[in-house]
Amino acid sequence: MTSGAGEGTAAGSYDAIVIGAGHNGLCLAAYLRRAGLTTLVVERRHEEGGGVNTEEPVLPGFRHNMHAQYMEFFDVMPMVADFGLEDIGLRTVMPEAQAGIAFADGRPPIVIHRPELIERTKASIARYSKADAELYVALKERAAGMEQIVAASLYTPPAPTALQAQEVMIEAAFGDLGIPGYFASKSARAIIDELFETPELRALLYRATVEWGAPLEESGIGGMFLTFVMWTLGNWKLCLGGTHTLAKAMTQACYREGVDLLESSSVERILVEGGRAAGVRIRGGKEIRAERLVASNADLRQTLLELAGPENLSELWVRRAKAYRYGPSHVLGTPVFCLHEPPAYRSARFDPDIDRCFYTVVGFESDSEVLRYIRDAYGGRLPEPGAGTWVNSLWDPSQAPAGSHAATGWYFFPPASALSPQEWSEVRATYNERFLARWRASAPNMTSGNVMAHRLYTPDQMERKNLMREGDFSNGEFALDQLGANRPFPEASSYRTEIEGLYLCGPSAYPGGGVHAACGYNAFKAIAEDLGLASPLVPERGY
Amino acid sequence: MRDAYDVIVIGAGHNGLTLAAYLARSGLDVVVLEARHEEGGGLCTEELTQPGFLHNVHANYHTFVDMAPPLVDLEVESHGVTYVRPEVQMASVFDDGTALTVHTDLDRTCESIARFSEEDAETFRALYSEAHGFVDLLLGTLMYQPPMSLKELTKALSAFGVEGRSKFLSVKLRRETIDTFLDQHFTHPKVKAHLAFHGAVCGYANDVPGLAMSYPLLVGKIDNWNLCVGGSHRLAHALWRDLAQHGGVMISDAEVASIAVEDGRAIGVVLADGTELSARRLVASSVDVEQTFLRMLPPGAVPAEMLERIAGGAIAHQPWSLFSVHLAMSETPRYEAAAFDPDVDRAWVVNLGYSSTEELDADWREVRAGRIPDVLRPNAAVNSLYDPTDAPEGCATGLLRQFAPYSLAGGGPAAWDDLGRWVGQRCIDAWRRFAPNLTDEAIIDWAPYSPADIPRKLRNMVQGDWMMGEISLANMLDRRPMPELAQYRTPVQGLYMAGSTQHPHGFVTFAPAYNALSVIAEDLGLDKWWYDV
Amino acid sequence: MPDVYTDEWYDAVRDAMNASAAKLADLPEGAFVVAIEIFADGCSPYVEEGRERRFLARIEGGRCAWYRELDSAEDERAEAGGRVDYRFRGPASSFDELAAGLADPIDAALRGTIKVRGDIRFLLRHADHVKALLDAYTSSVATTWPEGRPPYGGAREGGARASEEAAAPEATAGA
Repeated sequence: MTSGAGEGTAAGSYDAIVIGAGHNGLCLAAYLRRAGLTTLVVERRHEEGGGVNTEEPVLPGFRHNMHAQYMEFFDVMPMVADFGLEDIGLRTVMPEAQAGIAFADGRPPIVIHRPELIERTKASIARYSKADAELYVALKERAAGMEQIVAASLYTPPAPTALQAQEVMIEAAFGDLGIPGYFASKSARAIIDELFETPELRALLYRATVEWGAPLEESGIGGMFLTFVMWTLGNWKLCLGGTHTLAKAMTQACYREGVDLLESSSVERILVEGGRAAGVRIRGGKEIRAERLVASNADLRQTLLELAGPENLSELWVRRAKAYRYGPSHVLGTPVFCLHEPPAYRSARFDPDIDRCFYTVVGFESDSEVLRYIRDAYGGRLPEPGAGTWVNSLWDPSQAPAGSHAATGWYFFPPASALSPQEWSEVRATYNERFLARWRASAPNMTSGNVMAHRLYTPDQMERKNLMREGDFSNGEFALDQLGANRPFPEASSYRTEIEGLYLCGPSAYPGGGVHAACGYNAFKAIAEDLGLASPLVPERGY
Repeated sequence: MRDAYDVIVIGAGHNGLTLAAYLARSGLDVVVLEARHEEGGGLCTEELTQPGFLHNVHANYHTFVDMAPPLVDLEVESHGVTYVRPEVQMASVFDDGTALTVHTDLDRTCESIARFSEEDAETFRALYSEAHGFVDLLLGTLMYQPPMSLKELTKALSAFGVEGRSKFLSVKLRRETIDTFLDQHFTHPKVKAHLAFHGAVCGYANDVPGLAMSYPLLVGKIDNWNLCVGGSHRLAHALWRDLAQHGGVMISDAEVASIAVEDGRAIGVVLADGTELSARRLVASSVDVEQTFLRMLPPGAVPAEMLERIAGGAIAHQPWSLFSVHLAMSETPRYEAAAFDPDVDRAWVVNLGYSSTEELDADWREVRAGRIPDVLRPNAAVNSLYDPTDAPEGCATGLLRQFAPYSLAGGGPAAWDDLGRWVGQRCIDAWRRFAPNLTDEAIIDWAPYSPADIPRKLRNMVQGDWMMGEISLANMLDRRPMPELAQYRTPVQGLYMAGSTQHPHGFVTFAPAYNALSVIAEDLGLDKWWYDV
Repeated sequence: MPDVYTDEWYDAVRDAMNASAAKLADLPEGAFVVAIEIFADGCSPYVEEGRERRFLARIEGGRCAWYRELDSAEDERAEAGGRVDYRFRGPASSFDELAAGLADPIDAALRGTIKVRGDIRFLLRHADHVKALLDAYTSSVATTWPEGRPPYGGAREGGARASEEAAAPEATAGA
């Protein structure tokens, strides 16, 4: 229990150094320590968790998740069980009504419920189309049945045959529904449009797909809608206290294992000696040795070009790193609102559940508006306001002072560099008001009197805060050539790098952004294999 | 979450975490329950303005470094805490362009004071030397032990003939104000103003009778203001890590709704979400008395008469609070007074303009009457001067603090909500008068944090009282927070008070927890491994 | 007239303290072990450079029951049964000055020259008693100083010479 205590961060040498205390870094560190390596995590910020953070950015007592919102992988995430995270602070709620879309004209909403309440989901969709409702239910059931396979694919380093595997999976799961394997190579939009006739449902599914990170209209990538989006949709959990509670539980697990954590310490260099990663140098000059390995949770370009240095890489690797792209997928703006009362939607007269939805899409009257929105954001233009919104205080009263509510949203925005700092400043000053006007159209009580304060975090700020390049929380575009065994590029897709002892463990590696900790978990597998570590993994899990 | 522990500690402020870590190191199974999403209580560092600017929302000054036993016992340094003791600790800048600076180097402090009065400089040297000598004995022993009574203390002091041995210590100090003390020993108004200001920043108002008693001790550590690199929250992480590495658990967002009591004994707690946790050995509360006794304890657990007194305001709270402005800046202040004393530009904490104790006294009167003083004289701290990690490269954080009422006359605390930006701007203007380079261009962003915001963020700072109990003679030692609770035990068996409500007081002293620990160790028969005589 | 820090001297000090305590009413109950640590400071000739003089005393019912000089810190544990209630630690010349009645123990403690560890509240509550014991320690025993008498003044070299010079008249007086 006290193995790490006392040696402390003053120690000059560790077996393993992990750069970045984002959730992937924490996951990797916990497993490394359990496998017997003395391990240090170095974090640039004063807080652990990276994008898994919760703050009180506007008014005291109103908590907002600044990046990661809903949690969909806890049931399959190995670290949750392996380190007993639920005994050491991770507590969740799974709201009944999970995802919905509300409309300004008061049309019926569409509300997707938790899997065991699928009948309610079916009834909601059936208001528009019985066929869509039945197909949705069928897809959801099939997707749920694939859980073990999909989880195994997440928590295993990517095989070069990943795309073919997806075809096989789709064929097996959905083939009899008229959805053969080749659907994997369609775009998500093409699949959604072919399968569902209701524009309202399409709008919600488009939005959910984009949240996953899948570009809507890029061919070759739509299989993700069937395998991942349909699997996770409606399986969303809220962390009591905010998503940062997850980071806290992971950190606590690290502490209990004896991992050392050094915050407010910016790594400015990975020390490379004789072609081997030998440690790190921290801003201010302090050097810490790594006897076995250095793993970087930082983004690809930073890791290779800034920290390790092009002089330690081949021309090919330098070229690949330079060519790696950030955004426009997963570029977010996070608006936060301090409210007296939660939004009361016009659409609630058809289905009151829309007022009790965990995640509510607002500001889009049709599927074409979502399409236009996404095209604008991906195209580098500021879209007309619309958002996915969460009022977490509905489920967790501690997230706002008594009698009030804390709401947070996600806008999809152009990458940070698409606008000038002045333009972003202007966006921060005006965009929320524009969105609030649209929100008010759907929920008339969202008057200025109901909003005590609000604030908008823009991609340029996220880039500064968490070094998410371009504000892209995946630190790398979700595109066919940067996914699966191509992430971040084929030569680097095994978490190993050209530099011996230097590994990638952040979302620039497979499977990318999202709170699954799979990048860290898979990096551990690669490291364990290279170093011949006694594996603390649970074989029965299958991954 | 498991449902049974040996020890449940309510509140993960520095006292709660400290007590928990010691008990975990003693082999007990400990959980700390924190209502907020963050541990640390007042050790809270947030990016209130812009990404990369770390603002200490509450605790900024760590003045018990090298004195508080927990820093050593819990190996805080090995958990990544680094303290910096700024060379130029404090300064006062005055309207006439002069400035006084307090350094870690006593000679330099005396040189600065001598520019106002050579006599005062000599007096200060004598006072400091004497006080610094007994800081070790008195702070180290009286603060870090459960309190005795003022009567016993004065009796002992006279038995030992302390009065006769000291130019500065006297039994009658217990009736005097810091003003009186300063008037007795010092001559120059600006020197007195700075020394009074220093007391005020420590929570000791210069016009309150009796506080002169503690004043020499404050002077004894006037040069021990330390900054926690990377923000005060680093210390919270360190304490938490020590707890976790010794098998304890901290659970955030776990608001305690009630303390379960059976046969007069605390046996566990119930969380706001209904979760029940049992405590095999004890429950310790590090939050305020009001919450612990009025909200958490079930009816009948303590005598109704005691509850009535608490509900009726028996817990004395500081009759003044702090209005803060947190700034993100592109440069550090360059004071006009640097022409007089260049060291002011390197001073960590600067008094912006109080030039006599009368000016302070006048503001105390205004503030206690619920009014914001007409002329604002905030103090300014620039942590980035000594901690390059707290702001992006080339930038700086700033913290302005103005003595202010919690409840405004005509409007109460809520009236702050409309005044925050306005008062904040006036505080910035007050700074700019002395440091003209802090133009709008130099201020990237700023956020006000009013006295009304304090209990909204940290609920146990009742009435914006960041000391968690008035600093006054009537609320000191064995009378703090009330006689029944002063020895860390409560009328409920197995329930202890271990937070800043207790002797000695708020601030990052660790002493309430450390003292509660001794009492608990005695009751539980624990081996006091940490106390090596 | 015993030489300082000899068994005879310790006995004389103990007896003087106990005699003084006997005059007081309300002696505190219980037993306490007090550790005294005197470290070399380059001035006093009675503690060799790099060494410490340590002893333990046990106070029972307000009187000194026994004292023991120790060879090392390990000894302390064996002798005190792992329990020490108070510890007074300071430089040799300060302790010498106390024994010679030249310095005041309360001053030494207040100024931090001699560090006090232990439950100070108890000492404060029994201030009269503590005062009586200290007075006895500092002024009741006529002490001889074979290696020189405090105050030593100045640095090591000068201090050593000064004490040699001072030694002769004291020895004479003692004879």
